[in-house]
Amino acid sequence: MMEMAWIVPLFPLFSFFLLLLAGKKMKEASAYVGMLATFVSFLVASAVLADRVGGSTYKAEQVWLAIGSAKLTVGFEVTALNAWMLVIVSLVSFLVHMYAKGYMQGDERFSVFYAYLGLFTFAMLGLVISPNLLQTYMFWELVGLGSFLLIGFYFYKEEAKAAAKKAFIMTRVGDVGFFIGMILLFLQVGSFEYSDIFKAVQDGTLSQPMVTLTAILIFVGAVGKSGQFPLHTWLPDAMEGPTPVSALIHAATMVAAGVYLVAALFPLYEASETALLTVAVVGGFTAIFAASIALVQTDIKRVLAYSTVSQLGYMMLALGSGSDVAAIFHLTTHAFFKALLFLAAGSVIHAVGTQDIEKMGGLWRKMPLTAALFLVGALAISGVPLLSGFFSKDEIFAAAWMHGHGVLFWIAVVASFFTAFYMFRLFFLVFGGEERHGAKDVHESPAVMTLPMLVLAVLSVAAGYIHTPWFGTFLGDWLTDGGYAHEKTPSWMMIVAAIVSLLGIFLAWLMYGKRSLARDWLSSRAPLTYNVLLNKYYIDEFYAWTVGYVANAISRLFYYVDRFVIEGIASLITATVNAAASLGSRMQNGQVQTYGAVTFIGLALLVAILAFTGGYL
Amino acid sequence: MSMHTLLRYEWGVMTPEFIIIGTALILSLVDLLMPDDKDRRPLAWIAFVGVAIAFVATIGLIPAETTSILHDTFRLDAFGKAFKLLLLAGGALSLLLAFDYRPKEGLKHRGEFSYLMLCALLGAMIVTSSGDLITLFVGLELLSISSYILVGLRKTSVQANEAALKYVINGGISTAMTLFGMSYIFGLTGTTNIKEIAVEAQKLTDGEYQYILALAFLLLFVGLAFKISTVPFHMWTPDVYQGAPTPVTAFLSVVSKTAGFAIVLRLLITIFAAAPARGKDTSSMLLSMQDYIAFLAGATMIVGNIVALKQRSMKRLLAYSSIAHAGYVLVGFAAMSWVMIDSIWFYLLAYLLMNFGAFAILQRMSDEADSDDISRFAGLYQRSPLLAVAMGVFLLSLAGIPGTAGFIAKWNIFLGALMTEPGHYVLAAVMIATTVISYVYYFGIFVQIFFRPAAETSSLRLPIGLTLIVVVCALGTLLFGVVPGLAYHFLGQFEHFGDFLQ
Repeated sequence: MMEMAWIVPLFPLFSFFLLLLAGKKMKEASAYVGMLATFVSFLVASAVLADRVGGSTYKAEQVWLAIGSAKLTVGFEVTALNAWMLVIVSLVSFLVHMYAKGYMQGDERFSVFYAYLGLFTFAMLGLVISPNLLQTYMFWELVGLGSFLLIGFYFYKEEAKAAAKKAFIMTRVGDVGFFIGMILLFLQVGSFEYSDIFKAVQDGTLSQPMVTLTAILIFVGAVGKSGQFPLHTWLPDAMEGPTPVSALIHAATMVAAGVYLVAALFPLYEASETALLTVAVVGGFTAIFAASIALVQTDIKRVLAYSTVSQLGYMMLALGSGSDVAAIFHLTTHAFFKALLFLAAGSVIHAVGTQDIEKMGGLWRKMPLTAALFLVGALAISGVPLLSGFFSKDEIFAAAWMHGHGVLFWIAVVASFFTAFYMFRLFFLVFGGEERHGAKDVHESPAVMTLPMLVLAVLSVAAGYIHTPWFGTFLGDWLTDGGYAHEKTPSWMMIVAAIVSLLGIFLAWLMYGKRSLARDWLSSRAPLTYNVLLNKYYIDEFYAWTVGYVANAISRLFYYVDRFVIEGIASLITATVNAAASLGSRMQNGQVQTYGAVTFIGLALLVAILAFTGGYL
Repeated sequence: MSMHTLLRYEWGVMTPEFIIIGTALILSLVDLLMPDDKDRRPLAWIAFVGVAIAFVATIGLIPAETTSILHDTFRLDAFGKAFKLLLLAGGALSLLLAFDYRPKEGLKHRGEFSYLMLCALLGAMIVTSSGDLITLFVGLELLSISSYILVGLRKTSVQANEAALKYVINGGISTAMTLFGMSYIFGLTGTTNIKEIAVEAQKLTDGEYQYILALAFLLLFVGLAFKISTVPFHMWTPDVYQGAPTPVTAFLSVVSKTAGFAIVLRLLITIFAAAPARGKDTSSMLLSMQDYIAFLAGATMIVGNIVALKQRSMKRLLAYSSIAHAGYVLVGFAAMSWVMIDSIWFYLLAYLLMNFGAFAILQRMSDEADSDDISRFAGLYQRSPLLAVAMGVFLLSLAGIPGTAGFIAKWNIFLGALMTEPGHYVLAAVMIATTVISYVYYFGIFVQIFFRPAAETSSLRLPIGLTLIVVVCALGTLLFGVVPGLAYHFLGQFEHFGDFLQ
């Protein structure tokens, strides 16, 4: 079956072409075309995975272009990592295809949406089976294009247009790093093949500084794609796209491509302590940075977006701590629970018609299924014991600790506390309390939307058990071909992780849940002393002035850094280019004399330079 | 020269030129004798057939050995063959554009359109094959003068007249500079034959002479910069491109530019590669001038791409884009790697395909309203999805996105710049940075096509000539983007143009 792996990306591609040409006539049926294509992809991918479990890596390639002695090849490869990614991508894509049928119902460009989804899925699947850097780069750009088209899907909204542009250009900035790193590797190694690059790293053809330089340059590409600091600003803006897109592209798959790239090139990174440290520090910083911003956002999708940035930071931290297994494990569980959270958020937005959490509330009663599923996702991401996020995050903590990153470990723990807090702040504000929205007939979403969420919820719970210290480290053993040695982690670590996440939830409950609960509690026990009430007030103040204030200050600080320093530099560059452009067009005044003068001045300058520097005088 | 020697020359190597000249003569006679009220559009088809036959004849000449006739003034070598194929293909596409060119006020001198274009094409072909400064100059002027008239062919349009006048004046300056440079070379070497010049130039070891030779290099390069529209001789481009009829604009941006690069390569490499230079690098004059070319290439890429950002007129935008692309090609020349000519040829091929495709669609979009504002493209996707996708392909290729010929072309130039020892890292960095800038304006058009509502909802019909161009160019752009090996396999038979200096 593995030799047929190349066929997996072709089904969505076929769906793309079909819908592009005949979509207008097919209308609603477009959804079935897309679903069928991705479902077949999923089936084939599963078969490939099953085949790979018992077998070994399969690789097929052909010479595509020969320049001198250098040969560029195209082909595909089925490694443990690739096969695993194929299944995750095709599965999430299928579920999102299904969900979107309900969510996008009645949209004028329904079929176009499915066509773009097909294009994206094709590119993403193509990306994960590429056996060399060049091919990876091409698909890497293609997923960028798919993302651009889908963010800008509501192109009549100014914000959506701006966001699409921003996403494309910001990620391109990272891609320049990737590109340069790739070229440098090619010039040193003479090949784009992953296997050749690893060989060169091993036998020392690649000098140590070069390993570090190329690894960091390629990491810059990953930073752009995976929304790591400082190139993350496009990701929250990308939420202008339809919610299913946010779930598929900006949570589960494309943004994880950066993590995947670093994992795929892991032997390169392992050879350089500096590169690993860079990855770890950027990841750790992003994790806490984004989590702190998520604490104060009021747009449901933006909270989730910053959360995604933060979780990707975790994965980078894992990679930087030398554990690609932990990163891929978290990538997997995150794909499931974050997709679930986004789809649930979409279900809420679909029902209420707003994204502002201040205008929601009390939806638990109206949308019990969505609320329950969201709760599962929130519990999983918060790292509550026995759910998938607990195990994968624990693996990351362990990796950071065992690799001697004490500071980063504690940063990750604090970020985990933030995570639990903002997720449940979201939960209580949206589903708990009284209704604050004006929408009249709020009701549960149709089955076509809840069913995919249900599947994801099951996976959000179960996916943790593929790799646990209790039942066996199946994923790790398999990804490393049996060579996975689970390091004995201190047992207090799991307890700390559990306590921190529960503490975060508890705090959120106190601040956002308890207020309503307390009122009930008070009205039933009216004769309670004044003291208790005062005490309660005191606690609120306490939280506001300690945790709340500090967190607020930190997040505000980061927000301003984000707003003025990062965006300032970006706008400075744009302004310079714009000014130069204006100057250039003003020079172009239509006067032939000016044109002639420019030529003569140019010539005179060249001659003068020649005279002074050429050594002829 | 006796009659006997004249007849002994292998005239066969000039077959393509003879075919073009014959077709042009026949067309001018037909145009003269045809009644005034007859439609002259079919003449373009005759011209097209002539060019097609010349193309086939050139392919037939590929196996021919490197030949030099007429006292070494005309030489047919691999370089000439390869570039003639590009020129003829470009000429054929220009004629197809001309066939479907329908300006609002009508076109009175349609007959001239065809045979002037053939004359210009003939000039360009002579240029690629000339072995002597005199023939080279005559070919260059034939190309230039025909182009001047072509630009002003819409006699009633003020814009066209202005463009033609500007083109003539700037062309005059260019010719003066080029001739000035040539006169220095003649003065130093005492001959006009390029090969003999190269031999004589090797003997110039005196510093004073070398200085004059270097001056001649700069004069030639700046003078010829007019033809390839690079800094500092690029200013005329947007004005002329905008005023000229669209088929002529396409002709100038592709055929004329290709011919310009052919002269630059043939003249500068042959003469200056062997000439010694003073200073730190005594090996060759050409290498010592490398930094100047690199500097001008960088300036060209920056100017072209940055000023393009401000354009609303599609023709002006494509004019700046053509300046930028000339800059990328110059990077290939400045790097002077051993794949230089291969990569430049491939770039010009990719450029021919994507540019003609874009111009064909532009012509269709602008003719109907006599406006080439970028907003003409708004909502093209709704009006004609297939046309929008084709335009998308051309834009992606111009921007250099993987999967298109434009990417491979840029990639080769880029690799060439890094392959040499020492690598041209700064130049490569400028190339990448300006490419990123170019995304902004190319994707601006993209946004118009796909994301803006259409001003008109009428569906678009593409006339036969334009359809042919769009289909051929789109397929070519994708084909060479996916399997560039085809073009390289074809180039393989020229063996890296090894006979260039023989």
